[in-house]
Amino acid sequence: MPVWILVAVLVLGTAGTVGAETYDFAIAEAAPKPYEIGVRLEARYLHHRYDRDSAKYRLDALRGDPGAEAREWHGVVEPMFSYRRGMVKAALVTHHAYVDDGLQAGTSDDVYEGYVSLTPSPRFTLDLGKRSVLWGKGYAWNPAGFVNRPRDPDDATQNLEGRVVAGVDLIQSFAGGSLTNMGLTALVLPVIDDWANPEMGADGDVNWAVKLYLLWHDTDIDLIWFDGPSQPLSLGFDFSKNLAENIEVHGELGWRRDAVRTVVDARGQVRLERIDPLDWLLGMRYLNAWDTTFIVEYYHRGSGYRRDQLEDLFAFQAAAVERWRTTGEAASVSRARQVTEAYFSQRNPGRDYGYFKVFQKEPFDLLYVTSWIAMLANLQDGSFNVQPGLTWTPLTNLELNFRVAIPVGPAGTEFGEKPDAVRPEVWVRYYF
Amino acid sequence: MQKILPSALVWLVLFLAPAAALAEPLTGEQVLKQVDRNLEPGNLEMYRKIINIEPDGKRKEYVLWFLRKDKDKVVTLFISPASEAGRATLRLGDNMWLYIPNVGKPIRITSMQSVVGGVFNNADIMRLDYSEEYAVAGMGEADGQILLELKARSGAVAYDRLQMRVDKARLVPVRIDCFAATGMLIKTLHFSDIKDIGGGAVRPAVMETESPLYKGYKSVMVSANLKLRELPDEVFTLNYLPRVKDLR
Repeated sequence: MPVWILVAVLVLGTAGTVGAETYDFAIAEAAPKPYEIGVRLEARYLHHRYDRDSAKYRLDALRGDPGAEAREWHGVVEPMFSYRRGMVKAALVTHHAYVDDGLQAGTSDDVYEGYVSLTPSPRFTLDLGKRSVLWGKGYAWNPAGFVNRPRDPDDATQNLEGRVVAGVDLIQSFAGGSLTNMGLTALVLPVIDDWANPEMGADGDVNWAVKLYLLWHDTDIDLIWFDGPSQPLSLGFDFSKNLAENIEVHGELGWRRDAVRTVVDARGQVRLERIDPLDWLLGMRYLNAWDTTFIVEYYHRGSGYRRDQLEDLFAFQAAAVERWRTTGEAASVSRARQVTEAYFSQRNPGRDYGYFKVFQKEPFDLLYVTSWIAMLANLQDGSFNVQPGLTWTPLTNLELNFRVAIPVGPAGTEFGEKPDAVRPEVWVRYYF
Repeated sequence: MQKILPSALVWLVLFLAPAAALAEPLTGEQVLKQVDRNLEPGNLEMYRKIINIEPDGKRKEYVLWFLRKDKDKVVTLFISPASEAGRATLRLGDNMWLYIPNVGKPIRITSMQSVVGGVFNNADIMRLDYSEEYAVAGMGEADGQILLELKARSGAVAYDRLQMRVDKARLVPVRIDCFAATGMLIKTLHFSDIKDIGGGAVRPAVMETESPLYKGYKSVMVSANLKLRELPDEVFTLNYLPRVKDLR
């Protein structure tokens, strides 16, 4: 090839790219497929450095000395599959976990979601099977989310196990006026043996949940009703609204009739109370010009324990442990473990809480990094948990997370009695 | 002759009137409305590739399916990468929500946030018609282009003021400078590669943005596979958002 042709080809070839970047206009993903397949892998490591004077640690020590520190490993595989044909869709999400907490190791296999949906029109959908249900507008708590599974507000993208439901979803939009659209979701939640909603009542119970959603005056409003043979009648309300281009406010209210609450006094006397608790939450999210997001929430639990009630509980525990130490009588600690179960099974047993979280995208110009710090405080006893964390996504579909939980508070307070003095945690997620 | 003259005059007037009307220059509002129509001609679906380019040259790409109805309804669905697939956003006027499949419930988001990171915020990705959000405060000419000064119609709009340069012949934007209420330049959008992106829509296929607040970063949005599509209003609702991918 003559040299001048080669030079001309090179010059012409480069001319098109000088000063302007070229982009690929072909979007391969634009061809839809009737099926979807995905997998999420997760590996998690937790390091517990125990507070050996804490109430929970001393109770657990009855089963054997856990030592000053412990390591915990989790491995999770979550395959997801869905297939759609016409108005029918079937979906399956399974969760396979390996957990080694230093004392014992084991595996578990669960179906997180497995359902069939029939959608003859966008206005009407029928669901049958196991689906995730999460109602309410709160970030850290959902007092109106009567059918929700507990979740970790600082790991929001973690999959949650669904509920077995038969459900219908109706939607109606309105042109003009202050009511823009409304949606009605009605769920039947049966309890069948130990595979369908066993934590919602006795075998054969049928629970009902209804949510009416309104978009009214640019405000999301939900009215929630939940009832069942072994469940208190529960009524809920929530709202959410954008006040400006960077400010959102939300609130929730939940009322239950004839709910049962266990109270333990300082002598270990257990009393079952029937109460009509009112729980409510108010919160806001704000984004400033430096891409810093602030989330603040206040939460009042009508069924929560006052400061003096928590102090009584911890005093009773301490006395039981002391008796065991001095007399060797294990029965008192065993009973203490039993009667305090009602407290420790609750994520936050107190009455008034505050939650504060700050996110910063790419702090100090660190690429692909989001840093955050969260604080959850029991406002009655002044104890709190402070938790700084980082998320780093160095590659597409790869996510590295790190956080440290540091409970702070004197003896006899909620966070002062947490078993961990400090708990760093690292987890890696990969999606494909 | 006396009979012919008046009727000839009538015909002349009838013939010239439309021409005179055509020759009359467009007002700022008319230019802006035509820009809107040229960018998004009616109810439609299309695909968008968002490319975030970091200062070190590394890229992150997201593919979104975009649905739009009327002037105030937008849905986007993340198709890739796998870590984001299934996420969906909804915009109804000034209201915006994000649905994350694992989280299971849609949450309200604001226009200044960004669901993809980079320089584009939610208002850029789920943009409504410019004429819906901005009023024309002034019109002029610069470098052979129409220059529109736009002012936000309400405080809920992401940018307080826009300066839009419009290609005179095609009536599509060439460059938009976005300002905060303080007068600070937040970002600049550059439009290029005018072509048929589907459905007969001839418009810029590429929108690039840079910002003094994100020095060294660049974000690019490529639009393709546009099709006109009519969908019921109920598709653009919070309850339907988790199911919107079933419409693809």
